[in-house]
Amino acid sequence: MHLSSSYILSLTTFVYLGATAIYLLYWIFRLEKVGILGTIVTIAGFIMQTAGIGMRWYESYQLGYGHAPLSNLYESLVFFSWVTILVYLVVEFKTRNRVIGAFATPFACLAMAYASFSPNVQDSIQPLIPALQSNWLIAHVITCFLGYASFAVACGFGIMYLIRGDSRKSSSYLLEALPSRKTLDELMHQTIIFGFLWLTVGIITGAVWANQAWGTYWSWDPKETWSLITWFVYATALHARFVRGWAGKKIAYLSIIGFVSVIFTYFGVNFLLSGLHSYGSS
Amino acid sequence: MKTKNDHSQPNILVRFFSSVKLAIFLFIMLALTSIIGTVLPQGESLQFYLENYGPFYFKIIKTLHLYDTYHAWWYLTLMGLFSINLIVCTIKRLPYTLRLFKRNYLDLSKDDLLRRPFKAKWEITNRNNLDQLKEKVINQFLQLVGKVKTKEDVDGGKLYLSEKGNWSYWGVYLIHLSILVIFAGAIFGSFTGFKGRVMLLEGESTDHAIQMDTHGNVKKIPLGFTLRCNNFKVDFYPNGAPKLFESDLTIIENGKEVLNRSIVVNSPLTYKGVTFYQSSYQSVPDLKIRIVSSDGEQKILDLSAFDKGLWPEKRLLIGIIKYLPNVHGAPAARVYVGDATGNQGDAVWLLQSHDREIQVGKDTFRLSLISAKEKFMTGLQVKKDPGVWLVWLGCAMMILGFGIVFWVGHKRIWLWIGQDNNRLEIILAGQTNKNKVSFEKEFEKIKEAINKQVGE
Repeated sequence: MHLSSSYILSLTTFVYLGATAIYLLYWIFRLEKVGILGTIVTIAGFIMQTAGIGMRWYESYQLGYGHAPLSNLYESLVFFSWVTILVYLVVEFKTRNRVIGAFATPFACLAMAYASFSPNVQDSIQPLIPALQSNWLIAHVITCFLGYASFAVACGFGIMYLIRGDSRKSSSYLLEALPSRKTLDELMHQTIIFGFLWLTVGIITGAVWANQAWGTYWSWDPKETWSLITWFVYATALHARFVRGWAGKKIAYLSIIGFVSVIFTYFGVNFLLSGLHSYGSS
Repeated sequence: MKTKNDHSQPNILVRFFSSVKLAIFLFIMLALTSIIGTVLPQGESLQFYLENYGPFYFKIIKTLHLYDTYHAWWYLTLMGLFSINLIVCTIKRLPYTLRLFKRNYLDLSKDDLLRRPFKAKWEITNRNNLDQLKEKVINQFLQLVGKVKTKEDVDGGKLYLSEKGNWSYWGVYLIHLSILVIFAGAIFGSFTGFKGRVMLLEGESTDHAIQMDTHGNVKKIPLGFTLRCNNFKVDFYPNGAPKLFESDLTIIENGKEVLNRSIVVNSPLTYKGVTFYQSSYQSVPDLKIRIVSSDGEQKILDLSAFDKGLWPEKRLLIGIIKYLPNVHGAPAARVYVGDATGNQGDAVWLLQSHDREIQVGKDTFRLSLISAKEKFMTGLQVKKDPGVWLVWLGCAMMILGFGIVFWVGHKRIWLWIGQDNNRLEIILAGQTNKNKVSFEKEFEKIKEAINKQVGE
């Protein structure tokens, strides 16, 4: 059965793909109108996706389950994509730089493509098993994914930083359009702090929840441990600024390594390791 | 003169433990070594590692305690170093932060103000009511920024300073301290609390929890009161996924029922610091069996799993080995029947309405399964953790600390105003260490307001 919400959500994949293409065109041809179109398409995709998530929520009530659409891998991917776009739009609004879109929208597009078209991901609405029947579910998922999405955007900044090259050397036409290394470094730092804050709150809400469900706030389950590993990577990135010679490039690498760790925490643990968060393996 | 040695020698440890480089080294080491426990199965028997990884790796696993990585001596050492690093760093940076916190931003000259990141300057000459204008500008400024500190005679004028959020420098300390508080809570809890299990049949009660250590030794932990399970309920969704596990529990203290509550997953019951969590269940058979001996005497026994039934007069012992709720539409059970000494006996399958005969010694017994029903046994996790509130305090401090670090900036806005006969000079300056965009808006608003006053 094809649910209408998952149909709408699968369509957003193509809207975000379109947005990525338009932002790339904007980067190459630097026509203000193309850039504005990119923003419009992204916002349209975002509205569509929001509607899709809302519909899915409604559909779960119609099926008699009645829970927020944040309970399995499919729903978490959709939410990840949604928050990534949200974080990106805030960054675009604050920096007024649309080239960043070419580095941020692909993450949202890939997440939606994987959610909608991979045979590994089931898009059916499932009822909540007893362990998931908690108000902490929403708080835990939202905070974790705010963190993950910020780290995705920070990873985009890291990539931009590395391909930007040294601004003092003569740079090419394409690289000129990117924000300066100083700006990128600052943006990267701010997004990492923001992501780190939410990752921390996500880990804490998870601990509170685990304590309520099983009586242990920390049990070294692979997911927990990997979230801690990710936490250490970003702690390194935040402290590296205070070591001479570590700022800039090394932090850019760390923002990419950190995001790889996020991806592993998110997928790798579910598919390769076992543990409490086994929703992804189904 | 100090020699180089006596100056640096006492500091070398302090310098080592307070360096950010050590912090980064520890972050990376903790991140890398934490991977081990997510890849290598944890908490298995030593035999398991020997069989699966061979003698060479087994030696490494055993020596480095890799079967329980996160409690291994070297992992705890890393954590310990991390704590020392945090403490020493914090103490060492304290005077610096204190200076930053106490610094007086009124000690600035006119030129200093013009070197701030945000600034504006006005010069008004040849106007009649300069005194009045000056008054108006100051009032406007005060109205917009609120509380100020002032200083007279700064380069011939008066300096007003609105300073907000200078306490935000302590946010980082709050985060660092919170980690130590969480560690303290975890350590305190592990020494003063316990963790165990309780398995209770419906109607059964207990006054202790069972704890099993890694070597399989069982320990009984007294609860200090009695817990009874009155009823257990399990419910499924149409697709077969579990929907509800619910235990109806009663706490009995000094022979009196003091508390009655149902618990489900995610909604535990706490009494006198001990918390009971719904964690598992088992369905347990409850059989009614008739035994007729060869001399015509008979007895009806109620048998529940893990329980022995006795017929003392015939010195007969009977127990359930296996139970199947549905064999061709009827329940079946494999039971052991033997003499009370345990020397002789045999096991048979009993099917409802199919009698069986069994020989024990020289007697023959005829057994029939009269009825079988299932009883539930609830599995509860039992936990006492007096350190958990410290952990939550630490978590709250950490979130608060991050909130401060991310959102609260140290904002300073100065107004310098000087009058010299028929010439009025105004300087507006601003500085912040965070969120420059919103600060700029705030600054522009004040600038516009002054512009308006001056422009009339």
